[in-house]
Amino acid sequence: MSYKYLSMPVYRLLQEFKTDPMKIFDYLELVYKVINGTENKIRSFITLISKDIVFKYVEKLVKEGLEKFDSLKLLGIPIAVKDNISTKGIRTTCASRMLENYIPPYNATVIERIIKEGGIIIGKTNMDEFAMGSTTETSAFYPTRNPWDLSRVPGGSSGGSAAALSAGEAPLALGSDTGGSIRNPAAFCGVYGLKPTYGLVSRYGLIAYASSMDQIGPMARNTMDLAILLNIIAGHDSKDSTSLLINGKDYVSLLKELTHKEPRLRIGIIKELFENSDEGIRSKTYKAVDMLCAYHDCLTISLPYGKQLVAAYYIIAMAEASSNLARFDGVRYGLKIPFENKGWDEIYSEVRTKGFGYEVKKRIALGAYILSVGYRDMYYIRALKFRRILKETFDKIFKSVDAVMSPTMPILPPKLGEFFEDPLRMYLADVNTVIANLIGVPAISIPIDFYNGLPVAVQIMSRQLTEEVLLYLSMQLEEKTRFRNIVAEVH
Amino acid sequence: MQESDVIDYLERLALLKFTESEREKVRIEITKIIELFNELMKVEELDRVEPLYHVIEIELPLRDDEPLDTVDSSHELLSENAILENGYIKAPKTVGE
Amino acid sequence: MLINNLNILIGLEVHTQLTKLRSKLFCPTPADYRKSPPNTYVCPICLGLPGTLPVVNKKAVEYAIAVAKALNCEVSDKLVFVRKHYFYPDLPKNYQISQYIGPGFTAIARNGYVKIYADGKVKIIRIRRVNIEEDPGRIVYVGSIEISPYSLIDYNRSGIALLEIVTEPDMASPKEARAFLEKLIAILEYLGVTDPREEGAFRVDANISFEGFGRVEIKNIGSVKDVEKALTYEIIRQKKIIEQGGKVERETRHWNPSKGVTVSLRSKEYEEDYRYFPDPDLPPMKLDKSLIERISSALPELPDNRIARFTMQYGLDEYRASVLVLNKWLADFFEDAAKIYSNYKKLADLLITDFLRWINEYNLSPENFKATPLHIVKLLKLWDEGILSVKMVKEILPQIIKDGIDVESYVAASGYVKIIDKSYLHKIVEEVMKEHPKAVQDALSNPKAINYLIGLVMKKTGGKADPQITKEIIQEILSSIR
Repeated sequence: MSYKYLSMPVYRLLQEFKTDPMKIFDYLELVYKVINGTENKIRSFITLISKDIVFKYVEKLVKEGLEKFDSLKLLGIPIAVKDNISTKGIRTTCASRMLENYIPPYNATVIERIIKEGGIIIGKTNMDEFAMGSTTETSAFYPTRNPWDLSRVPGGSSGGSAAALSAGEAPLALGSDTGGSIRNPAAFCGVYGLKPTYGLVSRYGLIAYASSMDQIGPMARNTMDLAILLNIIAGHDSKDSTSLLINGKDYVSLLKELTHKEPRLRIGIIKELFENSDEGIRSKTYKAVDMLCAYHDCLTISLPYGKQLVAAYYIIAMAEASSNLARFDGVRYGLKIPFENKGWDEIYSEVRTKGFGYEVKKRIALGAYILSVGYRDMYYIRALKFRRILKETFDKIFKSVDAVMSPTMPILPPKLGEFFEDPLRMYLADVNTVIANLIGVPAISIPIDFYNGLPVAVQIMSRQLTEEVLLYLSMQLEEKTRFRNIVAEVH
Repeated sequence: MQESDVIDYLERLALLKFTESEREKVRIEITKIIELFNELMKVEELDRVEPLYHVIEIELPLRDDEPLDTVDSSHELLSENAILENGYIKAPKTVGE
Repeated sequence: MLINNLNILIGLEVHTQLTKLRSKLFCPTPADYRKSPPNTYVCPICLGLPGTLPVVNKKAVEYAIAVAKALNCEVSDKLVFVRKHYFYPDLPKNYQISQYIGPGFTAIARNGYVKIYADGKVKIIRIRRVNIEEDPGRIVYVGSIEISPYSLIDYNRSGIALLEIVTEPDMASPKEARAFLEKLIAILEYLGVTDPREEGAFRVDANISFEGFGRVEIKNIGSVKDVEKALTYEIIRQKKIIEQGGKVERETRHWNPSKGVTVSLRSKEYEEDYRYFPDPDLPPMKLDKSLIERISSALPELPDNRIARFTMQYGLDEYRASVLVLNKWLADFFEDAAKIYSNYKKLADLLITDFLRWINEYNLSPENFKATPLHIVKLLKLWDEGILSVKMVKEILPQIIKDGIDVESYVAASGYVKIIDKSYLHKIVEEVMKEHPKAVQDALSNPKAINYLIGLVMKKTGGKADPQITKEIIQEILSSIR
C-alpha cells in the first residue's frame, strides 16, 4: 500500500475496507511504518499497542464479523485515544506517575461504542498530567513535540492525540476538552477538533479533571471525519447523569445536507479576541473571516470580558479538580508506597506528593483553598456567578447570530519550556477557548493556514446542540482553504 | 491568606507537600494566580445573579432499584491494581503512628 | 456548683441504612452484602475507580421522602447532592456524596418532629434535617488496632444507601434518648424501609452537654441500649468534672461497649472543613408536590396512629398500646389474637409482661419463636375457665414460646383436667347458691344435702370442677352463713 493512503480520509478508507477487508492490514502496516519513523521524535503515545496484538485483534474481527461489515461505521479504522479515557485491560495513566501502572477493569462508554463499530484502539496518547496544562509538557513521562516544528509544543492537553493525527500516526483520535484541551492542540498541530455541547458525549470512563466542563470530543484531519467519529460517540448514556437525552442525530447526513443546501447564517465576529491575538494569528484569521463573510451575514460583536474569563475558568476547574483528584490514594489502584506501621494521613500525603507533578499539586492545593470556608464566597461562588452572567451574555448573542468566531489560540505554538517561567501566560492563552466550557456550548477549531510554517486556526462556537452548524462552517472553510488531510513531514 | 506561611497552610489543607525548590516557585505563582482571580471583583453586576452550578438544564435522572445479577466474586476489579489479603485490601492504618 | 439544676442537652445523629433496597445508592451492585466475602459486592462505581459516575437509585429517594413525611418534616422542593470531603481509606473517592444545607444546596427534608412518651408524659423531639448519603466501606484490623501494622478494607458496604437523621438537642436524659430511638426505629420499621436489627444497619452519634458547658460528641454507637449506657456514663463523667470546677472539653469520644466507657479520640489539630459543594456529576432534580403527595398518601399506618387506634378499638390505655405498637411484631401478634379473644386488656398484659420477657430471655427474634396467637388464646381461655391458675400459666408460657407446645394436649397430659382454681370455683359456687336458695337452706340443716349442691356445680362446669375442693368451698360458705 502506498503513502497516498496516508492522506486518505476515513470516509474513503471505510469504502476501501468494506470492499476488501484485507486492506485493513495493509493500512495498519502503513500506519505502524509511519509510527516507527516518527514516534521517537514526536512521542505522541504513552502506550502503543503492538502491531502483533492489533493484527490478531483485526484477524478475529474480520473472521467473526464478515456478515455485518456493512453496518460497522468504523470498520478497521485505527484510533488514537487520549490517556485519560478508560480502556479495559489497557494501561490508562493520565500521564501521571500516580496511575503509571493502572489498568482499568472497564471501558469508557465512548470506547465501548468505538469497539462496537469496529474501530481499532492503537494506543493511548500523551497529555498534560490529568489534563492540567496547555502544552503536554506537564506529562510525567515526556513532552510531545509539534510535528510541524519539533522545537515547539503540540499544545495541550490533548497534545498527543493532535500530534499523532498531524504526523500521520492515526487518522482519527479522541481528545478531552475542559478549557480548550481539544481545540488548542488541534490549532497548534493543524488538525480539526470539536468540543461537543456539555452532555452530548458520555463522560463515563473519562478520568475527571473538572466535571462540570469536561467533554470528550473527536479530532481528525478533515471535517467529515470529525462528523463520522462524533456520530459514534454522541448520544445518551444512562451511566452519566449529566448526559443529555439526545439520540439519533446523524451528523454525517446533516453535514452533507447543509453543505448541499448552503443556508446563509448570521455570524458574530468577536472583536476583542482578534485584536488581542498575536499579529500573525490576527492577519491569517481575518482571512478566514473574509472567506465566511463573503457568503454569510457577519456582524462584529463585543465581549466586555477578558482576564475574568480565565479567572472564572481556573477557579471552577481547580475547585472541582481538588475534589476529583482526592480519590488517588494508592489504596484501590495507583501508586504504591510502603505503608506498614505508618499512619493514613502521612501516607496519603506522601502518595500525593510522589504521584502528582508540580502543576497538579498546585491546582489541587489552590482548589482546596478556593472551596475552604473562608474563601469560597470570595472565589468559588463569585466565579459561578460570573459563569451565569457569561451564559446570559451569550444567550443574548445567540439570539442575533447563529455562530461566533474568533482565533482558536491568540498565540502560535510556543517553544518547549517557554511557558515554564511564566505559567500565568499559559493560563491567559486559554482566554478564547474557556468560554465554550464555562457555558456548555459546542466549539470547533478549524485549521486555515500557516504562519511562519506554523498552523493557525479559527474557533467557531454555536448554540447548545447545534454541532452540525459548526461542521457545516468548518466544511465551507475546508473547501476554500484546502486544509484537508494534511500530514506533516517529520524531520 | 493571612497564615504565617501560605504554603504550609495549603499543604495542610490539601494534604500534600511541595519540595523545597517547588515551594519558592509556587509561592510566586500563587500570588500571581490570586491576583488573576481577583479580576472577578471588577465585574460589577455579580450580586444581581445566582451562582450557575450546571450549564445544562436537565433533571437528575433516576435509576430503578434493579440490582445486577452478578458480583465480583473473583476480584477481577481489584486484583491488578490493589494489594489483597484474604480478599481485603491492604491499606495504611488509620490510628496512631 | 448546683449541678443538679443544670439542664442536660442531648441531640442525636442517626445513620440508618435503607436495607430494603435491592441495589446500592449510586450503582446497581446488589445491596445484600452481609455474609458475603470481602470486596465481592463491588463494581467500578462503588470502588470509586477513576472515570466512574454515580446514578441515583429512585427507590432510595422515595424511601427518604416517606421517612421525611413520617417524621413530620418539610420536604425540599429540590433534590441536590453535595460532596463532603474528608480523606479516609474506607471512603473510595475520599469524598462522600451526601446532602447538606448551604448556598446552592439543601437537605431532602428539614424541620420535623417525633412524639415520645417519657415518664408518662408526651414530649416533642424536633428533627433538624434528613439527608440521603452513601455508606463508606469497613476497616478491619488483624489482631488489634494498636499492634496491627496496617489496616484491611472491605468495600462491600461502600455505596449502600443511608439516611442521616439529625435531631435538635431536645432530649434531657438517656432515657428520653432511648425512647426517641425506639420510636424512630418503629417508624422506620412500619415504613418498611429498613430492618434496623441487621448488623451495622443502625448507628448513632450522640451529642451531650450540660447547659453552658462544652459539648461532647460520642461517635458511632451501635445499639439503642449502648446509646443509653454511653450517655449515662458521659453524664457521670462530665458531672464530676463540673463539680470539681473543671472545664468540659469540646471533643469527640468513642464508646467502648465491652468496657462500658467513653474514650477521647485523638483530637484533630484543626477543625475539619468538609468543603461542601454541589456534586457536578449529579444535576439537581425538582421534587414536585404531586410526587411527595403520592408517597405521602401511600404511607402505611404509623405508630402514633396505631396507638390511637389501639386505645379506641381495644380500649387499652396509652401505655399498653404504645408498648405493643413500638414492637411492631408484637402489635401484629396482638391483633391476630384479638380476632379470636376479646379480653383485650388481659391479652395485652400477658404479651407486654411475661411474653415479652421470655422472648428477650431466650433471645428470640420475631421470626424464630414458636408461639402462635392461637396458642396464647388457648392458654388464656384455659385460665379464664379456671382450669389453669396464674402460676400454671406462667409455667407453661415459656414452653409455648420456646417449643411451641399445644397447651390443650399439655394440660391433658399433665392431668390438669379438673378445675382446681379456688377463686374461680368460689365464684361458681356463689352463683349456684344464688340460683338455688332452697338447696342452700336444705344443706344448712342437712349435711347430706351438700351433695346436691356439688352436683349443681359439676353440672355448671361440665363435670370439670374438682369435687373435693368444691365441697370444701361449699362448707366454708355454709359455715359463714351460719
